[in-house]
Amino acid sequence: MIVTLTFLAAAALYSIAGALYLVFAVRGAEDLGRWATRLLGAAVVAHIVFLGADYAVGGNLPTADIRQMLATTSALIAIGYLLALRRYRLAVLGAFITPVTLLLFLGAGFQRNVAAVPEPVRSALLPVHVGVNILGVVAFALAFAVALAYLIQESLLRKKQLGGLFQRLPPLDVLDSLGFQLVTIGFPLLTVGIITGAVVAARLGEHPSFNVSRLTAMLAWLFFAGVLFLRVLAGWRGRRAAIGTMLGFACAVVVLVGYVLRAEAL
Amino acid sequence: MSAREIFVVGLSHRTAPLEIRERLAIPAEQLTEDLRALVATGSVDETVVISTCNRVEVYAAATDPVLGSRAARQWLAQRAKSSDLDAHLYERSGGDAVSHVFRVASSLDSMVLGEPQILGQVKDAFTAAEGAGTAGAMLSRCFQKAFTVAKRVRSETGIAAGSVSVSNIACELAAKVFGKLEGRRVLLVGAGEMAEAAAKVLRNDGARLVVLNRSLERAQTLAAAYEGEARTFEDLAAELTLADVVISSTASPRFVITHEVMQTVVKARRHRLMLLVDIAVPRDIDPRVGDFENVFLYDVDQLESVSRGAVDARRKEAESAERIVQGEVLEFESWRKSLELTPTIVALRTRFREVVMAELERTAPRLRSLSDEDRKSLEKMGDAMVNKLLHQPLTELKKGVEADHGGQLLHAVRRLFDLDRGDAPAATPPAKNAATAVAKGEL
Repeated sequence: MIVTLTFLAAAALYSIAGALYLVFAVRGAEDLGRWATRLLGAAVVAHIVFLGADYAVGGNLPTADIRQMLATTSALIAIGYLLALRRYRLAVLGAFITPVTLLLFLGAGFQRNVAAVPEPVRSALLPVHVGVNILGVVAFALAFAVALAYLIQESLLRKKQLGGLFQRLPPLDVLDSLGFQLVTIGFPLLTVGIITGAVVAARLGEHPSFNVSRLTAMLAWLFFAGVLFLRVLAGWRGRRAAIGTMLGFACAVVVLVGYVLRAEAL
Repeated sequence: MSAREIFVVGLSHRTAPLEIRERLAIPAEQLTEDLRALVATGSVDETVVISTCNRVEVYAAATDPVLGSRAARQWLAQRAKSSDLDAHLYERSGGDAVSHVFRVASSLDSMVLGEPQILGQVKDAFTAAEGAGTAGAMLSRCFQKAFTVAKRVRSETGIAAGSVSVSNIACELAAKVFGKLEGRRVLLVGAGEMAEAAAKVLRNDGARLVVLNRSLERAQTLAAAYEGEARTFEDLAAELTLADVVISSTASPRFVITHEVMQTVVKARRHRLMLLVDIAVPRDIDPRVGDFENVFLYDVDQLESVSRGAVDARRKEAESAERIVQGEVLEFESWRKSLELTPTIVALRTRFREVVMAELERTAPRLRSLSDEDRKSLEKMGDAMVNKLLHQPLTELKKGVEADHGGQLLHAVRRLFDLDRGDAPAATPPAKNAATAVAKGEL
């Protein structure tokens, strides 16, 4: 009961906060931005209560299966953003980050009756695999929001439309280097995640063949590798880096959706 | 017959795009020659030409303003080598022209409301006209007044608070692209007034300055004042490769930063973000440079959208500045009107007639034998005496007004005979007769 209630409360609070951030980004009423942040804080509290209740009632560890993993990931994204807010003036980014959080969180509630992870997979490696992937996705989700903000900011600057939205978004160069930092953090996590994933799958007795989910995971890895190395080697930055980051995150989302669907099928 | 009329023909950032303005911009060294050429047409008596990034305006005084404005328009069209200039030109005359120059000098017509540079530019324009001998009594008084008005506006309103200029706006934009400018390398191309204004702001923000100029000496002077480095044009490509922000403000008639140069620069700098601001008119940077990836180019007109925020805060101040300007315009106009010949003649005749008629009125009752017919004859005699007495002075006055000291002569007459007492002579019947007489040329 409490699990469902807190889930619904958190989802509702995320939705309202996201909507307020959006209106704030477009219209620029400072009050709206502050209220959006407060609501996001409330959503995170409800979210954490939900995670706690889920553990207490169902005995589900925050990293037990794909559903818990999504729930944990989305909470960490929101927390990461709230922490970043204390350092940077990034309130407008809430308009991009909150929807991502909401999407992953809803993914967690998509299927309530998930089969337990099969015994052979429950190795010491699994928490590592899930843990690094959670942190990686958090970093990439934030990088995605920053990249989206970069592209918007860049096109406004090019079109010489330096009105309200341009003024509220962070400086272009700040977005560029912030996005790069986030990808730099996420990339090794994703690398470890893919390797451990392969090992876990091998233990499961799966053929090391290429299924869709592994393929998209590799694709995501390639995109992020491109963002990192082409920046250093060929000076691919700014717009190209932002597009690469967004494509990489899109692939990561496809992988997650694949997991959710498979978990449902099990 | 009236005194010289002031008018202005020109274009500004409000009516003409940068492409047109840069074709018209007049190099300082050519101004004297142009001013004299304009007066040599014979259609204008006095002229001052203001040529800045944002405006090219011909101020002139002419006894026939229609002819004068035609000459000014022809001259502008010739300079622009364009026949479709008329769509961008505005024209004001009389009080509106005076109001215009007051507003321009007070920076109320500037792209960046309250910017401090324009007053200096108007002063330079006037000094040039004085030097060329084309600023006569009328424009001199008008411009001197404009400087006073501008000073009043600056000291009595908050319009200049924060002292924002195009250079400031450029720096503001740089901050929006790069966040803090601290430690950023900023290249100033050109070492003029605009570059100095930018250097001041950038130095305060902690940017590392490099001044690049055709003459190394000037670059060094500016660089030394703001702890920067000095370079010449030989180092252009190398410096462009290193800089984060470039602010260009040279007087060069051609592009200084060309597409070709930037092609190698963009590669050499590995596509790092770069902001180029071109505050020169004619432009210094090829507009195609803005098409490179991660290169953002703004020219003077495009900077306007950045400044809009600052303008909002100053609008209220601008309102009280406008009131100061309008008050001063009325004052100037009443002075200028006093220079006009017709009202002076009318007033003078009225004053004389009043005296004659008053004396007649006093004497007539004592002359009992006086018939109505006799009385009419006496009145006629009085009129004739007035006409005879005034004939020579009015002829001289008419001649004098056409000469340079005409204003002073009229002024003197109005003072000697106390013609500004306030009772408007034009409203009384005798004045009407006098006016008709003047119109018919019966002097």
